[in-house]
Amino acid sequence: MSIELIIFLVMVGTFMAGCFAAKLPVSVSMLLASVAGALVGGHGIPVRHLVEGTFAYIDTILTIATAMVFMKVVEKSGALDALSSLIIEKFHKVPSLLLILVMLVIMFPGMITGSSTASVLSAGSIMAPILLLLGIPKVNVGAIIAMGGILGMIAPPTNVPAMIICGGIDMPYVGFTLPLALLTFPLAILFVLLLGYKYVRKLDYSLIEGQLDKEIRKTYGVKIYLPILTLAALMLADSLIPAFPDVGTPVLFLIAAFVGLFTGKKFKVLETAKDAVQDVLPVMGILMGVGMFIQIMTLTGVRGLIVNASISMPGPLLYAAMGLAIPAFGAISAFGSASVLGVPFTLAMISGNQVLIVAALSLLAGVGDMVPPTALAGIFAAQVVDEPKYTRILKRSIIPIAVQILYALTFIIFSTPIGKFLGI
Amino acid sequence: MKKHTITALLLTVVVAAVCVYSGNLFLSLRADDVIIPSKDLTEVRMLSDYLPKLKGTRGDTAIYIFKGEEEGGKALVLGGTHPNEPSSYTSAVILVENAKVTVGTLYVIPQAARSAFTHNDSQEASPLYVHFENSKGEVRKFRYGSRAVNPIDQWPDPDVYEHASSGQLLSGSETRNLNRAYPGREDGNLTEQVAFAITEMIKKENIGLTFDLHEASPEYPVINATVAHEKSMDFAAFGLFELDMYGIDMALEPSPVNLHGLTHRELGDYTDTYPLLMETANASQGRLRGATNEKLALDGKDKFYVSAGELGMLYVPYDENGHPIEERVGRHLQGVLSYTAAYNDFSGTPIVIENVPMYEEMIAAKVGDYLN
Repeated sequence: MSIELIIFLVMVGTFMAGCFAAKLPVSVSMLLASVAGALVGGHGIPVRHLVEGTFAYIDTILTIATAMVFMKVVEKSGALDALSSLIIEKFHKVPSLLLILVMLVIMFPGMITGSSTASVLSAGSIMAPILLLLGIPKVNVGAIIAMGGILGMIAPPTNVPAMIICGGIDMPYVGFTLPLALLTFPLAILFVLLLGYKYVRKLDYSLIEGQLDKEIRKTYGVKIYLPILTLAALMLADSLIPAFPDVGTPVLFLIAAFVGLFTGKKFKVLETAKDAVQDVLPVMGILMGVGMFIQIMTLTGVRGLIVNASISMPGPLLYAAMGLAIPAFGAISAFGSASVLGVPFTLAMISGNQVLIVAALSLLAGVGDMVPPTALAGIFAAQVVDEPKYTRILKRSIIPIAVQILYALTFIIFSTPIGKFLGI
Repeated sequence: MKKHTITALLLTVVVAAVCVYSGNLFLSLRADDVIIPSKDLTEVRMLSDYLPKLKGTRGDTAIYIFKGEEEGGKALVLGGTHPNEPSSYTSAVILVENAKVTVGTLYVIPQAARSAFTHNDSQEASPLYVHFENSKGEVRKFRYGSRAVNPIDQWPDPDVYEHASSGQLLSGSETRNLNRAYPGREDGNLTEQVAFAITEMIKKENIGLTFDLHEASPEYPVINATVAHEKSMDFAAFGLFELDMYGIDMALEPSPVNLHGLTHRELGDYTDTYPLLMETANASQGRLRGATNEKLALDGKDKFYVSAGELGMLYVPYDENGHPIEERVGRHLQGVLSYTAAYNDFSGTPIVIENVPMYEEMIAAKVGDYLN
């Protein structure tokens, strides 16, 4: 048994013991697993590496915290209730179209920012009440939002995992719009109908009309929607206008949240912000723990062991390795998976259509946002629908996840003929 | 005092101690590496001489100039575009500490992306420093650095990086990659300003030949290679013959016309210089590598790369001997000498560089033997 495998087993064992035997938080268990791995690897307690590893997620953590503040503001100001009642009132006669529209709205922030977290916590949280009012069970709603967030992250124009792989092989991020659209939009429509259609097929509007808060729309008028419109406008401007200052997604969320202080019901600002950060504190802690974990894996050679084991599979097993290893490594980070595994897998498939292969690998990397312990899309979707057990969302999403993996692998295996057919 | 209050206080003290320790460690990386130039150095300028707004920033960096007694052509060597490619700046430092120019002028920027030397890439577990023992028994140390400019100097990254002059889209973190920023922008971010200043320098000094020294991971197809702008191809092909005579297996790759922001594309398009970019094999930046440490960066020995090589997954031969830094530096230095010789014949404006170790000398010695 190699030393790297021994270290890996010690890290995993310590993590499991921390989580399940000692009932410690996931973040603390990951810290302990990292320290154990470093000790076995002969590095003592490498404070520098433990601290440095956490910095990989500093931008993500800021996005999560500010997105949650925004979500609380739109909820407390009444914008959420107003938008839900408006959309259901206008589209209840065509429920399947309504579902598809809701799914596209959930995907939108991810398409612009490249972040599933942004999708789930902004549009996901805004659309959740609509889906719940339509009678869809909250676990299904959570699964719709999570899968919508992931597909939004992969859909064009902004797909960060694909950009990361392109950067790793010096390939321009050009020609991806059509392949990414083909990889994501059919799945989005399929998943939302699979998870929601049977509940809305015979929608009785009279039963839910009473639950809609139409009063708030009359009281505040169009201005109630201003925080949501502000966020959409800022995201579009950031994406489309080159001269728009690069202030970062967290600042966009904060500006939109600030607007929400003056457009609807009054609420306690500091308390709301504190609640928001408290809600996401465990996830931010997990990200810090994951950062340390991956840094120690790299330091000790465990990362190399995993990458080599994955990409050295012969023939058809290579596809199986892609379908399993890339989403599994996403348990640590979807973006990290794209970089650490996506790049070598792309190079291992260099004779195929590179654009299609990179696009499909990014779809596999996206699945990582559903894999615990980080599971950003799944955990936040559970939070949005007030479901205490994230694993219930994961179980409900198993079929969509399997379909997504098989769909991506189909594009990879047949990249050359599909590429010829599409003219790319 | 309640039990959980005591726990909280203890944890606060531990966190404060960790912050002070690691903060000081990270701050120590801002101290510049010591470079001891050859006695034949003529002049030291700063990059801010070509873009004054860089003065006082970590984008400013030293330019070492060797002017020959005879007039001739002008060449520039860029090291440290990506500091985590150690043979790049090590080669440039050896040039600065040894070179003598008799004809023409040689400009050397050993740490082109100076800000990128002040931090390490998170989750890459890079060594903080690499060390070399010189012939006097003294230890010289150089920072290992990162591929990108320090986010302390340029933050936040946009979600997507749009290359200014071409509109090419790359992932947001590439915003801080100097070799995706050329020809640069005077009013752009720090990375673009550094690229702009280098481009301006090439134009103002009328530099005819530019080398950009790099390393690549062994699984990357463009490795042990020279990437040349189409206008550099003719003389580069002659340089390649000479390198072959020295036992150096080097591929010559044309610069892709649709890949923007890189020296071999943009400096060729936007200036009159003839750009060449050279790559050697560095396991410590590869994704297949095992344990990451200074030893790997210097000797390139890695069992995972050996097995990947056996499976035919690499673009360089790989065995238990690895690819030591002496071999990688030797390739770069011989490349500079041989391509310059070919350029001299091609341009009629010669640059003659002496006292620089050739490939055979470098692989028979240690890097420290050529450090002052």
